[in-house]
Amino acid sequence: METKFETIEGKSIQFYLLVLGLALLIVPGLYSTYRMYDEGIYLSGMTNRIPWGLQIILCVFYIGASAGSLVISSLYGIFGKKEYKPFARIAVYLALLFLIAALLSILTDLGRLDNLKASASHFNFLSMLSINPFLYNTYILICIVYLWAMLQEKEKFVRVIALVAVIWAVLVHSGTGAIFGFVPRELYQSALLPPSFIAAALSSGTALMILVILAVFRVTRRPLDHELVVRLGRLLAVFIVVVLYFLFVENAYRLYLEQSREAAMYFLFDPFNGTLFWGGLVIVGCIIPAVVLFNPATGKSIPWIICASILTVFGVLCERYLIVIPGQTHPPDLFPNMEIVKSVVDEGAVHYTATIHEVFQAVGVLAIVGFCFVLGLRFLKLMPTEARIHK
Amino acid sequence: MDRREFLKTGGILSAGTVCASTLPLLPICASKTASVEESSDGCKYGMVIDLRKCKADCTACIEACRKENNVALHGNKRWDVHLIRKVTVQRVYPVRAKEQKSVPLLCNQCDEPPCAQACPVQATYKRPDGIVIVDQHRCIGCRYCMIACPYNARYFNYKEADDWPNKDQPRSMHGVPESCNFCAHRLDRGEKPACVEACEKSGAGAIVVGNLNDPGSEVSRLIVNNSVKGIREDLGTKPKVYYIGL
Repeated sequence: METKFETIEGKSIQFYLLVLGLALLIVPGLYSTYRMYDEGIYLSGMTNRIPWGLQIILCVFYIGASAGSLVISSLYGIFGKKEYKPFARIAVYLALLFLIAALLSILTDLGRLDNLKASASHFNFLSMLSINPFLYNTYILICIVYLWAMLQEKEKFVRVIALVAVIWAVLVHSGTGAIFGFVPRELYQSALLPPSFIAAALSSGTALMILVILAVFRVTRRPLDHELVVRLGRLLAVFIVVVLYFLFVENAYRLYLEQSREAAMYFLFDPFNGTLFWGGLVIVGCIIPAVVLFNPATGKSIPWIICASILTVFGVLCERYLIVIPGQTHPPDLFPNMEIVKSVVDEGAVHYTATIHEVFQAVGVLAIVGFCFVLGLRFLKLMPTEARIHK
Repeated sequence: MDRREFLKTGGILSAGTVCASTLPLLPICASKTASVEESSDGCKYGMVIDLRKCKADCTACIEACRKENNVALHGNKRWDVHLIRKVTVQRVYPVRAKEQKSVPLLCNQCDEPPCAQACPVQATYKRPDGIVIVDQHRCIGCRYCMIACPYNARYFNYKEADDWPNKDQPRSMHGVPESCNFCAHRLDRGEKPACVEACEKSGAGAIVVGNLNDPGSEVSRLIVNNSVKGIREDLGTKPKVYYIGL
């Protein structure tokens, strides 16, 4: 039986309230962004030692989520698994929105938005931040064409564009990893960052897709075969193990080598970083969800899968924080074998706290994603009438 | 999907990924042509700071720099801009020394500047004379240069400065990073950088700026005749600020 797609009705009072609520959440973000544009980004919690803050953490998270959604759609688009066709359109649409969210996060964070035209006229082939926007913009275009092809039911073209999209997603992820990995900072510099970025993207993207699918099917009261969600859960479990593996290799390497041991100790055992790493990322974000999903008893129960997905998303958020922030707060060793005893600036380890303005911006960007997602469901034929496994 | 089809799709997928993964190599091929042409016989500026002459409690260079370049001082550690900052260091290994040294830190004008490599719009670039400079009217304020600089020598104008002491130089504006550029505007006029001038006036004469390509210049002679050290030369950035007595 062919899967049929339709728009949601969107006539209920709840629908309008949701749209209105999301639109209202964007307003404080616009206000904060305007003030930062006008007065300077001192309104954020960033400092001369920590020039990248919350927006960059979230940007990286969104990019990961985007690729993860795309992989779900590719299960149908490339591998022809018909049972995942009902999710394919939502997945591509979300991939598109998450990438736009990532770009918006960067834009709200720029010091001189008015000079942005320079990024179109002056390109630096050597800069990862120049190569990546090119990758992102192309990726957005590919997603739009992909979505269009699916809406037009052009099955053969979907196969081709899905392949292009997945290859491009690999590039987007390697590129994003390289923004951090290819920088001479002790906790950034790493050739493993690009591939481990892809692993974290797959796990967070799949987890988010599970949550979104369950939510939209429940809210719009459509039949959903739970076996499909269970299979996605199993996929998620595998991705989580890959994430753990990369974490282990990277940190074991840093701890083992004398030259990076001090930095690794700071990363793993500083009270705050250590709590986030061991508590947030390893135990809550990876081990618990993996155990839940691999266990035959809990791995087939929808509430448990929801729980595992939420924990995975939380874990990846911790991981994104740990990629962006400790590399900055950890002091560079400017004078080997010497100690800086006095300076006019903070030369030692520093701390980052986001301000309310950054939170406003972050909520605003997320609200834009939600707003566009809900309107997309209303005006584009994204939702299947049902999702079942046909035997 | 049968096994043959699966293998075929998988094959195309992996082949495509491999091809696409070579894309990031393009910039490396392009880099040879993209960098600014340098002539070995032209001028290449460098600096030597003689720590034996630098007095711990003297801040003449810092103050002169602030006045000359309109460097913002808000009285808040988070936002204050320091194109030169003095730090006091003490040896702790292999022996714990009692002696403390005062070291002025500034942009190292690296010959392989990671900041210029990182800048997405080429707003930070290396001039043919080796000076690393920011075009504040092109900079988009992404701060990737600050992430890339291993010396924390870049400072961001988080806030607009209230005062504007030197009207000949642009007022510092918020949203762009700054670092020392050896007072390129003064060197271009044939004058010495403000810090060098102030240091000489104070009687110390610890800072010297000059042409590294000229073997007869004072910097060249100081480098040849003394044991000099750049900061973290092991990073491969080829800093062009050298210290005597570090």
